[in-house]
Amino acid sequence: MQLTLNVNGRMRTLDASPAATLLDVLRDELGLIGTKEGCVEGECGACTVLVDGRPVDSCIFAAHAVGSREVTTIEGVGAVDATPLQQAMVEAGAVQCGFCTPGFVMTLTALLDENPSPDEATIRRSIAGNICRCTGYSQIVDAVLQLSGGDR
Amino acid sequence: MTALGAAAPRRDADPKVRGTATYGVDVSLPGMIHGAILRSPVARGRIRRIDTSKAEAMPGVWAVITASDAPSHRTGLKIRDERVFAADLIAYEGEPIAAVAAQSREFARRAVAAIEVDIEEEQPVVDMDLALTDDAPLVHPEWESYEPVGDDFPRGGNVCAEMSSDPGGVEEAFAAADHVIEDEYRSQRQYQAYLEPKGVVAVYAGGRYTVHIAHQYPFRVRDRLAEALGISSSDVRVVGHHIGGGFGAKLDVSLEPYAALLARATGRPVKIVNERSEDLITCQCREDAVFRVRSAVSSDGRILGREIDVLINAGAAGTDGPYLASIAFILAGAPYRVGPTRVRCRSVYTNTAPTGAYRGVSGTHVIFALERHTDHIARTLDIDRREFRLKNLITDGDALLNGQELPDAGIFAKAFDAVEERAPWAERAREPYTGVGIAATVWLTNSQPGSVILKLNEDGGLGVITGATENGSGAVAMGVTQIAAEELRISPDQVVVSMPDTDTSPYDAGSQGSRTTHVVGRAVGKAATELRQKIYEIAATMLEAAVEDLELVDGGVTVKGSPGTKLTLAEIAAQATARGESLAATGTHATPQPKFDPTCASGLLFPTFPTPTYHVHLAEVRVDPVTGNVEVLRYVVAQEVGTVVNPLGVEGQVQGGVAQGLGYALWENLTIGEDGRYRQRNLESYRLPLATDVPRVETIILEHPDEGGPFGAKGVAEPPIVPVAAAIANAVSDAVGAPIDAIPITPQAVLEALGRSGR
Amino acid sequence: MAISTDLPVSGFISPATTDEALATLQELGSSATVLAGGTDIMVQLQAGQIQPETLLYIGNLDDLRGIDRKEKTVGIGSLVTHHQLATDAELSARLPALAEACSTIGGWQTQEVGTLGGNVCNASPAADTIAPLLVADASITLASTGGTRSMPLAEFVLGRRSTAARPEELLTRLDISPCDAGTGEVYLKVAPRTAMEVAVVGLAVRISMTDGLVSDARIAAVAVAAVPFRSAAAEHALIGSRLEPEAVEEASRLLAAEAEPIDDARASASYRRMVLPRLLGRAVDIAKSRALEE
Repeated sequence: MQLTLNVNGRMRTLDASPAATLLDVLRDELGLIGTKEGCVEGECGACTVLVDGRPVDSCIFAAHAVGSREVTTIEGVGAVDATPLQQAMVEAGAVQCGFCTPGFVMTLTALLDENPSPDEATIRRSIAGNICRCTGYSQIVDAVLQLSGGDR
Repeated sequence: MTALGAAAPRRDADPKVRGTATYGVDVSLPGMIHGAILRSPVARGRIRRIDTSKAEAMPGVWAVITASDAPSHRTGLKIRDERVFAADLIAYEGEPIAAVAAQSREFARRAVAAIEVDIEEEQPVVDMDLALTDDAPLVHPEWESYEPVGDDFPRGGNVCAEMSSDPGGVEEAFAAADHVIEDEYRSQRQYQAYLEPKGVVAVYAGGRYTVHIAHQYPFRVRDRLAEALGISSSDVRVVGHHIGGGFGAKLDVSLEPYAALLARATGRPVKIVNERSEDLITCQCREDAVFRVRSAVSSDGRILGREIDVLINAGAAGTDGPYLASIAFILAGAPYRVGPTRVRCRSVYTNTAPTGAYRGVSGTHVIFALERHTDHIARTLDIDRREFRLKNLITDGDALLNGQELPDAGIFAKAFDAVEERAPWAERAREPYTGVGIAATVWLTNSQPGSVILKLNEDGGLGVITGATENGSGAVAMGVTQIAAEELRISPDQVVVSMPDTDTSPYDAGSQGSRTTHVVGRAVGKAATELRQKIYEIAATMLEAAVEDLELVDGGVTVKGSPGTKLTLAEIAAQATARGESLAATGTHATPQPKFDPTCASGLLFPTFPTPTYHVHLAEVRVDPVTGNVEVLRYVVAQEVGTVVNPLGVEGQVQGGVAQGLGYALWENLTIGEDGRYRQRNLESYRLPLATDVPRVETIILEHPDEGGPFGAKGVAEPPIVPVAAAIANAVSDAVGAPIDAIPITPQAVLEALGRSGR
Repeated sequence: MAISTDLPVSGFISPATTDEALATLQELGSSATVLAGGTDIMVQLQAGQIQPETLLYIGNLDDLRGIDRKEKTVGIGSLVTHHQLATDAELSARLPALAEACSTIGGWQTQEVGTLGGNVCNASPAADTIAPLLVADASITLASTGGTRSMPLAEFVLGRRSTAARPEELLTRLDISPCDAGTGEVYLKVAPRTAMEVAVVGLAVRISMTDGLVSDARIAAVAVAAVPFRSAAAEHALIGSRLEPEAVEEASRLLAAEAEPIDDARASASYRRMVLPRLLGRAVDIAKSRALEE
């Protein structure tokens, strides 16, 4: 089935089977490998993208359900220069193996968009759907706090 | 400006944070097709019939292979008990029976589902104690024909490997005891749960296989794949990519033989990527264990003697089990003085998925048992649990049970002091349902060899060519990078470390045992010494000075005391090229084996803990008397690291290791049914710690530079996970007023313990 | 390790209006699987647990996304998301148990797309929204090309993934009674971790106090029986009392007696039996203090 998607500000036309997920389409059809497949059950958040600015698990989001909404992937965040969030994550030691990192960047980008100064509890709640196996989360939280001046 | 100790951003951070880093699962080659593996759905049985005709006839299918298309000889890390495909006897759920290559992953999986296999099921051997009874069916009926790798070792029947030590004096100690305290502890399996599932792309061309992979130990993949296929190592090339976590699971072969065989059968690059549940079941997770211990104790608080019997579950293949059987013995001698100690540890075959290496191998369950037992002893003697530990702490020059002297074991006392200063112990009446626990351990820095080539690039930057792998910990992107920068007095962002490629990188023993910064860092140091000499020699002629009057400063060479005479490294490199000289050097290092008593035990395949480090953890918890949930209120770590190369890196290893330890202690429950199959099969049922579950860890870093380490650095990455379950279990036991003898500590176990204690 | 051999999904239809959707449902009947947020359907599809022929995506039906706020009742469109319900300040004040329940479902990503209607129609025995909906006397409205019909939620939810909806019907709206002055409620969810969990035990309690006496009590439990239920016996034990320990204990005993927990992958029946009675005590305390807050 033909499908037209707005991805990172560009209209893309492609073919996708009826049950194809947004993740399948991004990685396999559009070659956008920054969004990762970690579980295909909506548990780990490594596949997080923004749909109209809202974080969703693309592994369980039907590609044909996107419609005219705007999809933003990690490739659309800091494409030219790293965003302040991305820089803060690097400086805070929030990146280890990095496989979860795109998902966290997407979720946290959405958080900072609606709440520029979240406190620690709010940050942790917002990333409860993003699993990191390497960092233990503290330095990821630190990155956002350093950026936003929020409270621990 | 010094690179050492700097919180420098890691060199791979930018591609990772932008999503441009290529991981093993991201690799894509022109003409690539996709593979999938048919795995046994049952834990034990005999294959009566395989019919691949329907699968082969499906459109889009390129090849279907089974045991008849692959070598049948057995291979292994220490005991050759594995084969590529099952042909007759199935030994575990997940054992590969066939593999398919097709035009897409979806097609490959449908073709796998179309392969007809008749398996006559048999009752699996699941329980380790039952597996050891005389009439238990053999997991490997032909075990006697299996060849060891290198020297043979004690094994037989369902005992994959046995390590034992009986020093004499044990019975006398029990005869003299005022108290005999006996315990049995059980611990479950733990899945490494790296976010990037295992994947591989294999190519067969020109008589050689090339394997693209995210792997902690490319040289082992090369050798083990070659062994499995019955070919020479030189006919295999392994190319490394960014690794999305490994924690020990990506140290051995898994999907590579299947992708390689399919690549050869089809003439196309073949990609195989695990689905998450497939990955969970076949990961080779941390073993489950049963730890039995009795201690002879005097009323004044000394451990007169001890007897330990441990069962560790190999699953259906030995893998590194024969080595892990030594860990209990080594750890039993620290951190507290014990009299004569009899230790037996058996790695036991069962019809379950093979277990393997996971951060802090075996240490997590051994320390859980030993430290719970220590609390039990203290309570029996009515001595404060911390005081009892301090009273019996080993110190500088004390030896482990293997005779290995720990010249700096006095660091234990410093670590206890450091924790006390941060979180005073005081066993006082606290809020109801809260408790505190403490645990300590020694850990090692793996000593296996690594080589590097350093080359000065024409712009004055430094290339580091190495087979070492960056598994995410920062050991390469921070550790090796910053050490190399420091050696050449340049900035870390002028250092480029190569990705591993077994055709062009010198040998490295992989990211395991916390070794990379230490061993590869020393190799860098040795190469740098030679490289600096070459640089000085060229600069000497350019500056008309003597080599011994020169020094490296800030990206250039000057005459000591005359900063105005500086030549940049770029100028020196250009001069070298003009003269046809190469500014490159090689360095190799392996840590010398510490002295130990080789007669202390039989089956001691992992004999010492080289370059030891010292650790004390403290946990404060609150239990919910309605739900049984455990909340970690506070977690304090005192970790000794030698020297800090990058504080962000050290902090990251502590926070991350403790989080994994908390999962192991409380939420990650990987259990096996009577049918030998895993009950938890995905990330919904296998519960990983989330951002709202884990506290901030308070980290106290102790530095005692190691003269054998690069600028004194020792291994950092594993120890943070090792004492966590022990500290948590001791704290929960304190909170509920009853012993906690099993991990993970489920909410049900907490409520039942509260019921027993009447709280 | 089982891989599905069934045929792949053959169609994906995205109607632009509710009338179009109903017409399509009428035509396709049970060969159509309704898809909203996808947090249940897509997971089940990926796991091979369901094999839909046609996916009927209803996410474009904006008239199902409204919230109709009146004094005595709130009408919630079936496509309202968990995130909307969790973060709506007015609903958090008037329907705190429902807002709390929605905030415990999955994580942010789940809540952004997951819908109230989807959670109800998936009808898991552990569905978080169903307990607060039951204590709020929820009724649901179904629409088809033939018109609409309504029924109490308790009659709609029949069992796991089973409701009283006919194949050609679409759940369009839920009507709920909010808390008034003197009424407090809470939803408590018991699970091993703090997020991303299916409830091991879920309990919603709504209490109305008048002059220190309980004038109304509603108690609904999930994950402790084949179907979410309200315990009339436990409720009656509280009504007319001052919530003395004896009354609460009696209610707990009656609630536990009505529950039929099983051993499943998440927890044992014995654990659920240990938790449920004490959980009621905790829920009653919170509901009471919220009732007295004004």
